[in-house]
Amino acid sequence: MKALIVDDEPLARRELHRLLTTFPWIQVIGEASNIDEARVQIEALLPDVVFLDIQMPGGTGFDLLTQLDRVPRIIFTTAYDHYAVKAFDVNALDYLLKPIEPERLATALRKIQATPSSSQSTAAKDAPLEQLFVRDGARCWFVPLREVSVFSSEGNYVRLLWGKERPLLGRSLGALEQKLDPRRFFRANRQQILNLDFVKSVEVGQSGRLHVELRDGTEVEISRRQARLFRMRATV
Amino acid sequence: MLASRRKTTQRKTSLGYWALQLIGWSLYFRAQASGEVIFASVPWSKAATLWGGICIVGIGLTHLLRWVITRQTWLALPPAALLIRVIASVLLISLTTYLITVALSQAVYDAPVAPIRGALYHRLSLAGQLRNQFIAILSIYVIWIAVYLSFAMQRHRYRAELRQAQLGEGLQAAELRLLKSQLNPHFIFNALNGVRALITDDPGRARDAVTQLARALRYTLASGEDDFVTLERELEMVDDYLALESLRLAERLHVVRNIAPAAHTARIPVMLLQTLVENAIKHGIAPLKQGGTLRIVAHIVERQIILQVVNPRPVGAASDSVIEGVGLRNSSERLRLLFGPAARLRLDLSEASQATAEVRMPM
Repeated sequence: MKALIVDDEPLARRELHRLLTTFPWIQVIGEASNIDEARVQIEALLPDVVFLDIQMPGGTGFDLLTQLDRVPRIIFTTAYDHYAVKAFDVNALDYLLKPIEPERLATALRKIQATPSSSQSTAAKDAPLEQLFVRDGARCWFVPLREVSVFSSEGNYVRLLWGKERPLLGRSLGALEQKLDPRRFFRANRQQILNLDFVKSVEVGQSGRLHVELRDGTEVEISRRQARLFRMRATV
Repeated sequence: MLASRRKTTQRKTSLGYWALQLIGWSLYFRAQASGEVIFASVPWSKAATLWGGICIVGIGLTHLLRWVITRQTWLALPPAALLIRVIASVLLISLTTYLITVALSQAVYDAPVAPIRGALYHRLSLAGQLRNQFIAILSIYVIWIAVYLSFAMQRHRYRAELRQAQLGEGLQAAELRLLKSQLNPHFIFNALNGVRALITDDPGRARDAVTQLARALRYTLASGEDDFVTLERELEMVDDYLALESLRLAERLHVVRNIAPAAHTARIPVMLLQTLVENAIKHGIAPLKQGGTLRIVAHIVERQIILQVVNPRPVGAASDSVIEGVGLRNSSERLRLLFGPAARLRLDLSEASQATAEVRMPM
């Protein structure tokens, strides 16, 4: 199992590295001292597990997660910020308190070994996105994209309509569109991408546009240009 | 001391109350009894018996009323509730006194109306005289309660203010205790993690680090007792702290100290400089990938101690680090409680690349 250590403190990295040598099935493939280095290494080395510090210069561990398309399994390491991990609704994430207790580390690693590797980290690089780590103010989630009804462009950001939540994603709509599953998501107009699974009814509107009503009550207009494509999709 | 002061004031109040009570009632007795002797030509012994009796009843009833008022703390009641109780109780004791007067008069003079009333209101019917007798008694009690309340309310207000002032002092002391900064747990655990790594890599440095951490912890624990320390002593703490921080920040932290010789012995609030330094590391050095230089400056100008902590400012984070956390706000509040307007803490963010926290306080 490939592991990456992300921590700004050299001593902390060295200590964790040393602790991990007692687990022969863990192979430390790299170390990063900030989230920019970490993102590059995660994308290049595809680690199975990342030991991630929270407070680092240049951005927090949470910031890193929002930038990743495919989030490997994460174990947060922190001296005192575990409240931050607990406060977030990210039960998928484990955390270790520094100084790290060897027994606690063993437990966390066993847990990871037991859970089957998510399709995220091992999937082909160009496979469509299935979930994203999204942060909205003090809260954050792993959002399963099939549960999102509409993506709306807001400047350089994208607003997600996901159940009752309306979190903002730090990406552009265009960049996101390329990574979404084209069988499920449809570019309705310049501003919006809609989830076809949510379509409840379609009405023909003025000058060739289409009015779509979604199951959650949202109304989306499909531009004339896209309407032709939409009809073709519908007849298939 | 406070309790004894309260007891003394209570004794004084009680003495004043009895003096007024006796003077008032004896004047009343003298006026009524001698009036009765002169206007109604009755023997002095009878007038004295009747009015002596009435005055004793009056003293008894008003004293009872006073007991009820203090016992049930009527003075703390809202005005309307107080008024209702006062009116009802005055009417009640007036009626009681009236009935006793009638009975007593009957016993002494064989007439329900005291002869002085009969003499003064001889043109009225018996019923009119009786009503007059009641009104005369009522007005005495109205005067009594008015005098009593004006004194008692004054005293009540004074005591409330005193209590408020004492409460304020207590609160300030509690606030100061709270505001006194503690070592950040984040720092302690990070330092321990660093020590753990050093035990294998550099045992000598690990031993030093343990000593430094122990000293720093002892200093913060002891700081509960002393409010002020010499700058020299505080700087020892800051040195230990910075040595431990450089375990994790390594070459990212560079420290420059510029302390005027005269400032070493100046006394400053304990943990004040430490808080400024901690804040500078947290918001200035730690968020910067390349780190930076921390400058500590202390000098004395016109009997004022000036402490400055200068740190580089991360770009972009500038606007939200202006609020610079609880640490500086607490220090500022603490200075206000200790020195009032004579001291101040200012965070100078006029330069884009650096932040300066400055404290000025009297020596």
